[in-house]
Amino acid sequence: MKIKVLGTGLTKFGELWDKSLFDLAQEAALEAIGDSHLAVNQIEAVFVANMLSGKLSGQDHLGAVVASNLGLSGASFRIEAACASGGLAVHLAIQSLLSGTYKKVLVVGVEKMTDSPASEITSALMGAGSQTERLAGLTFPGLYALMAKAHMQKYGTTKNELAQVAVKNHYHASLNDKAQFPYEVTEEKVLESSCICTPFTLFDASPVSDGAGALVLSADDEPGSLPAGRQVFISGSAVATDTIDLANRKSLTEITATQTASQKALKQAGVEIKDIKVAEVHDCFTIAEILAMEDLGFCQKGEGGRFIAKGTTKLGGKLPVNTSGGLKACGHPVGATGVKQIVEITNQLRGNLGKRQVKGANVGLTQNVGGTGATVVVHVLQN
Amino acid sequence: MNSPVQIWRSHKNLHNYLGKQGRLLVWTKIFIAPSGFEHQTPYIVGIVEFADKEKLPLQIVDCEEESLKPNQKVKVVIRKIGKVKSEDVIEYGLKAKPL
Repeated sequence: MKIKVLGTGLTKFGELWDKSLFDLAQEAALEAIGDSHLAVNQIEAVFVANMLSGKLSGQDHLGAVVASNLGLSGASFRIEAACASGGLAVHLAIQSLLSGTYKKVLVVGVEKMTDSPASEITSALMGAGSQTERLAGLTFPGLYALMAKAHMQKYGTTKNELAQVAVKNHYHASLNDKAQFPYEVTEEKVLESSCICTPFTLFDASPVSDGAGALVLSADDEPGSLPAGRQVFISGSAVATDTIDLANRKSLTEITATQTASQKALKQAGVEIKDIKVAEVHDCFTIAEILAMEDLGFCQKGEGGRFIAKGTTKLGGKLPVNTSGGLKACGHPVGATGVKQIVEITNQLRGNLGKRQVKGANVGLTQNVGGTGATVVVHVLQN
Repeated sequence: MNSPVQIWRSHKNLHNYLGKQGRLLVWTKIFIAPSGFEHQTPYIVGIVEFADKEKLPLQIVDCEEESLKPNQKVKVVIRKIGKVKSEDVIEYGLKAKPL
């Protein structure tokens, strides 16, 4: 499989009071189309990733909204899979190209969250969970806290190791001017911040964010605008699912959909996990990055906390992970996240990320999770 | 849930769980709650495993977090769930308390 990434676009992530859902989608889309050197009317289909526009902005039917704001009248789709909406939209856009139905498509991931109070956002996000979880008063921080507690009980993972995920990702975000929190934090700061649910403090969690990301993709036989060595291809794209409720999973300390989707995507791409030079993974909470390291196969099960704490995944280490700052520090506008991950890896493979550039990056991976792992989308990108 | 019909429909199987005993696998104490649960914070939610291996997420009541231990025995009870919503129906559901 070889899908060309012709263009990328990304807004600033954060509390963007002067920008609406529509402004964000339009800004990222036009940037990606401009980067692709195509004219807007050459886009044949639009795939829009979003979770909450109906609940938070009163706007559904988002496919038509984004297309018509661009002046397009071709096919347009809205895709929702909770926090994996972005990855899933890219996956579906790829299928449409592979089928030959379209030759050039646009993917836009967008979310506008900061207009609403915390309890409303917390409830809206619980739409990604199960009915029994909602009746128990669970929240997404609460669900991931249960996974963290299980990991601590079984493998001895510590709060300090959880905190190190936040420390690393804030350092990476300090090198990214698009990040919501472009500054460093210390382990003490993470551990001393207020408790949201045991064992998590506020700094174990990704924030509520506004933002959008966009990609222009094409079939391989379409001409690209970049020189051969810098052209980026998506060579693997796979989706896997699991039970919607966390309690009835085979294990509380693994996300099996990550294992399934990554093995499939790597096989499609014809590469092994040891070939990956840079990755963007779904660190919605610090434990999630630890689980991702283990379930993707970067380290042994149970070792994720120590693997990250010793610096392996920091810029300059053997396998830099979440160079954007991740969901934790770059921000997590839910529908945009899966698209932003691919924007980041594309730019790593193009070699144009300046201070946060990973030297020699030629194979990268993204892992985008919906809910507590009920949907996982993995992509592999190569030069 | 808001409508009395939705609540009634979700209650059909509750009697199967009443008094059922299980063990508490993991738990968390929640300080930031979703709408309808804010007045209860902080509250404890855990995953309970029953003898038939079925697992349920349940609020753990009538205890302090410090007194809980992994594999602690608990029993399912009926309690009020969240705040009374717009249709004035008081919703009851399952919670668990330590034995």
